[in-house]
Amino acid sequence: MTTAAVTLSSVLFAIGVFGVLTRRNAISLLVSVEIMMNAAIINLAAFSRLYEPEAMTGQVFALVGIGIAACEAAVGLALVLAVYRRFGSTDVDSIDLLKG
Amino acid sequence: MSEPQNVEQLLFIAFGIVAAGGALYAVVTRSLLRSIIALGAFLTAVAGEFYLLAADFLAVVQIFVYVGGIVVLMLFALMLSASGVRHPLAAIDRPALGAALAYSLGAGVLWGSLTTELPAVGELPADAVDALGRALLGSQLWSFELIGVILLASVITALVIVRKERR
Amino acid sequence: MEVSLPLTFAAGLLWGAVAFTIVGALTAGLVLAERKVSARIQGRVGPMHTGPHGALQTIADMIKLVMKEDVRPARADATAFRLGPLLVAVPAVLSLAVIPFGAPLVMRDLNVGVLYFLAIPGVTVIGLLLAGWASYDNYSFLGGLRSSAQFISYEIPRSLTVVTVVMLAGSLSTVDVLEAQRSVPYVVLLPFSFFLYCVTSLAEINRLPFDMPEAESELVAGYHTEYSGFRWALFFLAEYAGFFAAAAFGAVLFLGGGSGPLLPPVVWLAVKTAVLLFIGMWIRFTLPRFRADQLMRLAWKVFLPASLVNLVLAALIMRAVGS
Repeated sequence: MTTAAVTLSSVLFAIGVFGVLTRRNAISLLVSVEIMMNAAIINLAAFSRLYEPEAMTGQVFALVGIGIAACEAAVGLALVLAVYRRFGSTDVDSIDLLKG
Repeated sequence: MSEPQNVEQLLFIAFGIVAAGGALYAVVTRSLLRSIIALGAFLTAVAGEFYLLAADFLAVVQIFVYVGGIVVLMLFALMLSASGVRHPLAAIDRPALGAALAYSLGAGVLWGSLTTELPAVGELPADAVDALGRALLGSQLWSFELIGVILLASVITALVIVRKERR
Repeated sequence: MEVSLPLTFAAGLLWGAVAFTIVGALTAGLVLAERKVSARIQGRVGPMHTGPHGALQTIADMIKLVMKEDVRPARADATAFRLGPLLVAVPAVLSLAVIPFGAPLVMRDLNVGVLYFLAIPGVTVIGLLLAGWASYDNYSFLGGLRSSAQFISYEIPRSLTVVTVVMLAGSLSTVDVLEAQRSVPYVVLLPFSFFLYCVTSLAEINRLPFDMPEAESELVAGYHTEYSGFRWALFFLAEYAGFFAAAAFGAVLFLGGGSGPLLPPVVWLAVKTAVLLFIGMWIRFTLPRFRADQLMRLAWKVFLPASLVNLVLAALIMRAVGS
């Protein structure tokens, strides 16, 4: 089961990386980042049974990971809305004020 | 290997296929709405994996926070930023290059994690939820407090960012 | 133990079918009860023609709904339009799985049952948003946004309120919560929690005085304006399944569930649930509707602080009494 879990996690991570590399829409980027986060959390949950299972360290860390993901989504989507208000688009390439 | 364990493994693989399929669809579809729905399916399947990995609490928290929270937030953001379009589309840039890079990175991660010597599966405490609660308020108290502070900070940040500017 | 996979799946499918049938029957009964109660409150007689005293009226209505043509607006997004009602109805049925109906009838004693019950309805919000968005209609869209905003706002005080029960029982399992109430039901120990639970639950299941999403006088019918036939029936089913689940869960968390003298547990649970359901209907036909902004202000400025104070006070009192 551990092998299956780490395999799944690697596959999902690669899918997330693909999304981050090819997408330009801010919401799509967040979707891809969430996929990568989940890949990591699956590993944490699987390793919780291998290292110090009685202390539940892995699951605690996975919970922290889910919490961080929630923060990231909240702040990220707030930024998406702020960008949309100013530039009229959620495409990250449209934010080019520094190009002058 | 006894029969129930086989059922568990089959279920693990089935959920894994749903998760990978949902994730793949989420990153390759051009429709933002479908991408978010696929993300929801992916997250639910991952919750199933957590349940099979003996992390019941994580599974329910995954549904609570991810499916009931983050996916809904994303739908809100999509609907508020769609400029009246009911089916917003997003471009995919240089998919071949992205796929090659992602494939090599994923293969590297997979090779690394499969060649690492891992210890055998240990025994989780009988009352896992109880143990998790004790860990969160005992030995792992710092991470628990830390996540509280980060959540508070992100709530305030999000509020400040989206607040309407006073003219 | 010999468990074959096809058999497991067959059993799962069977249980799913049974659950949906039970929920369908419940919905029919509840709709009839609601019509009769409302008629009594408003000095009417209610449905009288189909069957004795109109008892078969809702069954006739259901047959009508299933036979109706399934209409979809021409510009609606087909996938999301179909997915919406499913995502609303399935979680509503799933949330019934952890309610302990008495010794032989606990479908699933999850060790995180209470959290599960709070988490599963969150999926409903996605269905509401999709339904409103996909209908390609401004009334639907406004209804969908309003109901999900309302749901999310009231979910927080509701969860914080249920935490007091979990704290007192020391377990997240619904069966353990029942066990802990053997001597004294929690409504005696936590009356304010019970009040908060009832009010926030009414808001969560979109019933009057909190039925903003389908305020007929403002939004035609909210997120299900464009739906008809079977898909509309799914929304209806979800609404009543949610109503029933909230009442049954309130009976389990605060009224001691199936415990009571003489009668079997299932009967006691049914009686207690019925009392809560009746109060819900009574409120619906007595109070006027809130405005959308009043509703949100109430959630964030009254119920959220109140539930936090309630939680802290309950913890302090528990500490002081020390049991």
